[in-house]
Amino acid sequence: MSDDLERPSRDASLDEMLGLSPGGADDGPSWFLAFTSELRETWSVVTRTLHFVIRGSPQPGAVATQLYEIGNRSMAFLCVSMGFIGMIFVYQAGIQMKRIIPEVSQLGSTYLELLVRDLAASICALMLATRVGAGIAAEIGSMVVTEQVDALRMCAADPIDYLVRPRFIASVIMTTVLTVVAGCVAFGTGMWTASAFFSINPRTFADASLVDGADVAVGLAKCLAYGAAIPLISARAGLAARGGSEGVGSATTRAVVNSSLAVIVLNFAISTLGYFLLG
Amino acid sequence: MSGLLPSLGRAVLDIVGVVGAIGVLFGRILSRLVRLDLDGRQTLASLYRMGVKSLPIVIVTALFTGGIMVVQAAPTVERYGVQSLLGWGAGFGTLREVGPLLTALMISGRVGANNTAELGTMVVTEQFDGLRALAIDPLSFLIVPRFIGIVTTLFLSTVFADVLALFGAAFAGWPLLGVEPGVFFDGVTGGLLGVPDVVHGLVKSVAFGIGMALASSHFGIATSGGAPGVGRAVNATVVTTASFIFVLDYLVSFAIR
Amino acid sequence: MIRLRSVVKSYERRVLSSLDLHVERGTLYGLVGPGAAGKSVVLKVIAGLVRPESGTVEVGETDVGRLDELGLAEHRKHVGMVFQNNALFDFMTVGENVAFPLRRLESLPEPEIQRRVTDRLARVGLPGFEARSPSGLSGGQKKRVAVARATVISAPVVLYDEPAAGLDPVSSQRLFDLLREEQRKAGNTVVMVSSDVDRLLTVTDRVGVMHEGRVVFEGSTDLARESDHPVVRQFLRGELEGPL
Repeated sequence: MSDDLERPSRDASLDEMLGLSPGGADDGPSWFLAFTSELRETWSVVTRTLHFVIRGSPQPGAVATQLYEIGNRSMAFLCVSMGFIGMIFVYQAGIQMKRIIPEVSQLGSTYLELLVRDLAASICALMLATRVGAGIAAEIGSMVVTEQVDALRMCAADPIDYLVRPRFIASVIMTTVLTVVAGCVAFGTGMWTASAFFSINPRTFADASLVDGADVAVGLAKCLAYGAAIPLISARAGLAARGGSEGVGSATTRAVVNSSLAVIVLNFAISTLGYFLLG
Repeated sequence: MSGLLPSLGRAVLDIVGVVGAIGVLFGRILSRLVRLDLDGRQTLASLYRMGVKSLPIVIVTALFTGGIMVVQAAPTVERYGVQSLLGWGAGFGTLREVGPLLTALMISGRVGANNTAELGTMVVTEQFDGLRALAIDPLSFLIVPRFIGIVTTLFLSTVFADVLALFGAAFAGWPLLGVEPGVFFDGVTGGLLGVPDVVHGLVKSVAFGIGMALASSHFGIATSGGAPGVGRAVNATVVTTASFIFVLDYLVSFAIR
Repeated sequence: MIRLRSVVKSYERRVLSSLDLHVERGTLYGLVGPGAAGKSVVLKVIAGLVRPESGTVEVGETDVGRLDELGLAEHRKHVGMVFQNNALFDFMTVGENVAFPLRRLESLPEPEIQRRVTDRLARVGLPGFEARSPSGLSGGQKKRVAVARATVISAPVVLYDEPAAGLDPVSSQRLFDLLREEQRKAGNTVVMVSSDVDRLLTVTDRVGVMHEGRVVFEGSTDLARESDHPVVRQFLRGELEGPL
């Protein structure tokens, strides 16, 4: 390839694409600047995606394709992982309960409450950050380095409208669906573990008495928040890919890491909010 | 339906193939470790690089995880009025489960994927073959040092993360539940949690480290198909490492009571 | 028609330094220069994909450098571009690729869109390729699809970034001749960047030679061939000795 220009880690045209004014060089610790500009660009992706969710161009079938991609790619993996988690968790909790109060009849109800309120959503999200996040960043990143994104802009198709929006919508829906399904699997394996190791009757275990509206609300809020955060962060990482397949690789890694971190931070934030507002 | 069974069968065979290859790799690494057949400088370089790369993530994850543990336990603590047990509850979960698990998952993204990308790029640019042509054993020179680097990094990070998470939990417990840090740490160190719990978590972290090192090295070495192949290898590493982590978590949990 | 004045653009280093360029309406302008001289950046500046730090970029009556996103979208309706690596959308068929600008930039009835796509593909020598997938095509075929896509909207300005890169000599010459014919038929303004200087010069009306971020020579093809300017002479003749 002739005339291969060395592209820097931050291309001002990405700023233009996202509607930010290209910043000049400031003084200040460089990592802090890098962090704030990351936040600024990510926020720009967020606002533009939401804008296009409401006012975007019609793309028949785009969301459906993405739903299939995400669901197909992750369902089996998620169910197997959550199955294991269920067993481990119930086992560990059971042991500890026996140490403190030699009574394990509450194991099922406590487990279900925790599953609904937190575990199912958060663990699924961490797994999805890996699969879905990497996938989105790699797809969009490849398109950036092969100039397909530029070609889209030449045809007056906003890359955020065209690429990010369907993935965003699909992810929010699919994260919730997958969480519910995988959560059921985790509950099932937990039930089996309780029965096998602590001789708890499955009917005693399947006790929904501790699960109230607040738990469902918090769990649902988490599903939606994670489902929104992962594609946005990963798309932003993909859009910033530079320099060929190495750039795509590092964009993918960045997407996975940042999405996972976002899940953890959001987990804390929503849990705390839920605790204070809803008890 | 006709496509399902063959593709299932293929998937199973794939998995078995990968596990087998990783087993062989493990054997070859172990034999070199036992003979101390490894490049010292590469080892130190790996340790430094991986440690530095992981530090910020471990810190952020650990602190927030501590906070999350407290928030999750809060309803139960309030319900039964067992504030003094908060330290135990958070400590138990952190040391045995959440600490090693989350640390490993977060580091897998950075260190594991990076390792595969580096090795994979070396393979497709024929640097691996170049080493062999110079009569340097790629395993001793590249793989074993990274193996040691990853396992050590994961182990130390877990220790660090455990401590940080407990601090994070202690300082979250204060405003949220009115549990003073002093009371919190009494709960941690008072008789219910012991050395076996700490060991439990650390054994897991070593196991996760071995799994991560093996998976990332295997897919790195087995890369083919040019630059897109490297991308595929990285993806495979991340997924396989996560799977390993869950399976090993399960095995260790049940093996050590 | 296209006029760049004192355009400056830096990435990590200064790529375009106070660059002046002038392309007359209805001509085929060839832009040449050593690798990494910034030729692709010039095209992207004209297309409005890259905003210069200073200087003016006039295409027709419009100052492209001052447009906002909405204005740029409007501007791009009048510019077609072929990218170095084709940039074909690999998740669409060939037909859909060529139809894409029509769907986005103009509101035409479906039968008309199909008619234009078929017509374009036939013109670039790929009749019946509508349903094919880009990944199954050869390098030369991909290039021609990219040309079809860039010219389907009959834009007054068309930009070609290394149109013959990676093609064998025969396909290369065929492509250049095709592009020249297209330009003559449509009477539009074309800027073409190529490292294949000899072949490029067989189709250009005017030539610009870039060196260190500026256009050091600009003139008709014949003038370029006879120029005494050291950079131009060395580059056009492929000599080893000289300022480069």
